[in-house]
Amino acid sequence: MNQADVTKLMSQLRIAVRPNQRNLKNPDGAEGRLLKLRKTVTALMKHERIELYYNRADEARGYAELLISNAIRHGDRHRATMELADYWLLEKQLVHKLFKVLVPRYENYNVSYTRMYKAPRDYPGMYYRQSVLELRGNPYPSLFMDQSQNRNLLHNVLLDEARKEYRRSKLADLVK
Amino acid sequence: MNSARAMSKVWAQQSAFNRIVTFSTKATQHAAAAVSSAGAEPPGEEKTSATAPAAAQPPTPTPTPVRKPIVPSNYRFIYPEFLPDPKVEWRNPIREKLERLDMLDRRRQIDLPEFYVGSIMAVTSSDPHAAGKTSRFVGICINRDRCGLRARFVLRNVIDHQGMEVVYELYDPTIQKVEVLRLEKRLDDNLFYLRDALPEFSTFDENMEAEHLEEGAPVPVNDIKVILRPRPWLERWERQNLRGVANIDQYIKDKHRKSAEKVQKPWEKYDLMKQYRSTIPEEEQKEVFAEVHTELHSLELQRKRNKRKRTFVKPKQLA
Repeated sequence: MNQADVTKLMSQLRIAVRPNQRNLKNPDGAEGRLLKLRKTVTALMKHERIELYYNRADEARGYAELLISNAIRHGDRHRATMELADYWLLEKQLVHKLFKVLVPRYENYNVSYTRMYKAPRDYPGMYYRQSVLELRGNPYPSLFMDQSQNRNLLHNVLLDEARKEYRRSKLADLVK
Repeated sequence: MNSARAMSKVWAQQSAFNRIVTFSTKATQHAAAAVSSAGAEPPGEEKTSATAPAAAQPPTPTPTPVRKPIVPSNYRFIYPEFLPDPKVEWRNPIREKLERLDMLDRRRQIDLPEFYVGSIMAVTSSDPHAAGKTSRFVGICINRDRCGLRARFVLRNVIDHQGMEVVYELYDPTIQKVEVLRLEKRLDDNLFYLRDALPEFSTFDENMEAEHLEEGAPVPVNDIKVILRPRPWLERWERQNLRGVANIDQYIKDKHRKSAEKVQKPWEKYDLMKQYRSTIPEEEQKEVFAEVHTELHSLELQRKRNKRKRTFVKPKQLA
């Protein structure tokens, strides 16, 4: 590979892409790897949030992103994109979901379509790192705790003080 | 906006490969622009500038619509060497940019026309071993590879019953003239199989006249199928799914057919990430070509003008 392949045109991904792929050891070689990732991509499209090993999630993430970005770029009248969707989505009703639900959802996004978190691994258990992979805009509650009401955050401390001061001044007015 | 900011932080933490995340700053900029244009909460800096006393300063200049050059979509086929190498380890944005400047400098000195694998070309170059002398080689371009200043192509011809191939670097300063005698494409990405084909398929007349192609006409694809000579071959052509070869089946046995089937990789067309890693994404291509487009376009116009001059002179000489 000394010259960029110009026959295909792809949109830039909004995620960090490794310079080379992980092989995700399996006895069936390169094809087996894709078959394995196919299950993950299908599950992600179906459930919108999944928990799995970090390496596999990170590999599957790129494929899910590209599948969505190709669907956005070419639409459902493009034969090659349809073939791709047919290959990557094992449950065929998800092809409809991809073009009718996910494409309208992500059309105007400026950020990546998926999100990945590091998850704790159970102890004692498998050594592998765990992660959570999700589609953005999913219906589930956020995985991050809402910290905006934390009493110790600086802006909350200041607001509290301001409130106190306001009350004090009001009381002083009443007394007068 | 907030989510974009948070995401950029997450990226920064997650990305162990900082050099490939060329989009990280841009994405947030775009996001900010989109959000502010949509009328949602503008970023803090803009707010302060808006509330700043306007009396002391002249009003901030209204954003004039910057007209961007419209880059033709076929530039990536005509000038593939301007795109950087997709291999991340070899990327170096500064070097790439400097190389592009050097390439444009070279193109100002010499006319490097559009050509493809399968085009018939003539290259005049000075010979490093014979001072003051030049050599002209006519042949068919059988391969194009490498990018940047190292871009090169291979010409092949049969001269005195002997197959000859010359590798030229496109930006080599010893090259004096590059002519395209017949502009066309072939069915395959490279034509190395001509080495094993009958010699008439790679024999071209040295005194061939340049053929005229109408302006704006699409580049014709020559769907000629070459005839291979019997085995032994230089490569296992039966494994390469060649479209420009007529008679592979004639020479291979069942065992070859079986082994060829075994090494096929039909799943690769679904391997999106592999394709992504071997290409330069569209946004980046646009950036590269926006940088060199005006210069290349003016060079093209210059070439057209020169051509017209030449065609105008010709009938004079006949009369």
